[in-house]
Amino acid sequence: MSIAAIIVMITCIFVLWGVASVALVYSMRQEERKLQLIKKQGSFEPYSPKALRDLDRWIEQNNTSEHVQEMRDVHDEQREALQKCKSYFYIWDQSDVEIMKEI
Amino acid sequence: MTKTIISREQWGSRFGYLMAIVGAMVGAGNIWRMPYVTGENGGGAFLIAYFVLLYLIAVPGLMGETSLGRYTRQGLLGTFRKIYGNNKFVGLGLVILIFNVVLMSYYSSIVGWSLYYAYHAVIGSFTQTQFDTAALWQAFSSNTALNVGMHTVAMLIVTGILLMGIKGGIERMAKWMMPILTVSLIAIAIRGVTLPGAMAGLEFAFSPNWEYLARGETWLAALGQALFSTGLGWGIALTYGSYLGRNDDIPLGGGIFTAIGNTSFGLLAIFAVFPIVFAFGISPTSGAELTFVALASAFGSMTGGYGWALLFFMGFFFANLTTAIAITEVGVTTYKEERNTSRSKAVLTMCGIIWLLGIPSAMDSSILGYLDFVVGNWGLPLATFIIMITIGWKFDASRLRTLSLNRGADLYVPKFWESIIRFGIPAIMLFIMVYFLYSNLTTTPWKTVSGLAILTLTIPLCMWIMSRREANAHSVTNVVGQSS
Repeated sequence: MSIAAIIVMITCIFVLWGVASVALVYSMRQEERKLQLIKKQGSFEPYSPKALRDLDRWIEQNNTSEHVQEMRDVHDEQREALQKCKSYFYIWDQSDVEIMKEI
Repeated sequence: MTKTIISREQWGSRFGYLMAIVGAMVGAGNIWRMPYVTGENGGGAFLIAYFVLLYLIAVPGLMGETSLGRYTRQGLLGTFRKIYGNNKFVGLGLVILIFNVVLMSYYSSIVGWSLYYAYHAVIGSFTQTQFDTAALWQAFSSNTALNVGMHTVAMLIVTGILLMGIKGGIERMAKWMMPILTVSLIAIAIRGVTLPGAMAGLEFAFSPNWEYLARGETWLAALGQALFSTGLGWGIALTYGSYLGRNDDIPLGGGIFTAIGNTSFGLLAIFAVFPIVFAFGISPTSGAELTFVALASAFGSMTGGYGWALLFFMGFFFANLTTAIAITEVGVTTYKEERNTSRSKAVLTMCGIIWLLGIPSAMDSSILGYLDFVVGNWGLPLATFIIMITIGWKFDASRLRTLSLNRGADLYVPKFWESIIRFGIPAIMLFIMVYFLYSNLTTTPWKTVSGLAILTLTIPLCMWIMSRREANAHSVTNVVGQSS
């Protein structure tokens, strides 16, 4: 086999099997963490800090939309989860959590 | 305003869902098409084009379709009704459903073929002295009754599994079929690469011809493989996504793992198929001829051929079966919700319809070829176009990403995703349909014109049917409301 073919073959193995295996293992572990949190405290916060910022931004930019109430509902759900839960699924800055709790 | 809580069956485990969705996408195309397409289109150069398109289009598209299903928690028509309201546009969902039913009507024959060859592998036909695999394929292809019989058996197996439900049927089967398929292909690949002359097969598949990257045909072939192999926009990811929990991850599992895992089977097939093909001096090809004639013959000549043939054909059958189950489930979920009936009744009705529609394809391979031509060239790209436009513009990609896609996600999806859904994938789908029209019009004008005419009529017809149905349902609701 030529060197070029070997390089392509090895790259493919990493890009496909490597990514698929890592994704499978990581996804299963994260699911396990979610299940442990549910078992321990009944729920966990559904959105990450970045996703929450998107949610805030969407509400701010579309505050006359017919769907804004649905977004506010999930925002409330997130706030309640942050207030209620002692352990979080995502990594949070304490200041972000405090701001959310105060709203 | 009162909230309606919809009780809905869910996947029993993360592993079960991941195996089911990858099983849905891994089918005949991964095993009998991808190795040849790769080798024919510049090897490594094709793979680079393929990876770019896979990550840029298939992964974001699958994320969108799955998260829409998870959000609406309904099948095709229910999803379209939730987004467009009770009007004629629900008919667009019916268009996609019809494509699925037609696709399954002839895919069932392919499941039947693979089952027939798995049976021959079990009884050891391929290892008999002087066994002629070409004659077997010829005899099988020309035996109408046997083909209808295998189509019937395939549909009976699909029916049996679907009757057991999402968790007890689809998930339970996928949880052991997919690992068996993986182990089978790995074992065959290890045996294949250790055969004398096998390296030429890997050289054919992986050797990069960089000039191919500048050819439009390479990118088109890569696009076709990336889109059709991952089943993007056919309603499968939407249907399977509708059985996910509200806080289940989608970007990593439903997007990256589904698309990359599916392609990983294609790579495994390259390792399993081409070393054997080259070691036995067989001309590289694709499709039924490669699988049922060339490979069957090669297994017969190998030491321990019985075991290798058994592993390969059982794995091939499982790959086709899990796809067939997923395509049929799209109809089952939708029928169950629309008719408000039991799952058993929905399974028996949908499988009965598909079995009946599949008889002509089982009897005559030219009908199968025609349907594949129409559905593959325009039907499925049109289905993908409809779903992506619905997500991107009607539902609003920004709203879906914010509300559903990033909910419970193991991986954050940035704003860039919205542009791919709104502009990228629809534009590519339009391009594909126009290109196929242009390239087929001169070579097969009758097939092209008739296929397009059928498709063009399907859309207004479905919209008219659903508009009448929605209007009737509305008037019945009003009458009931007034009388009570």
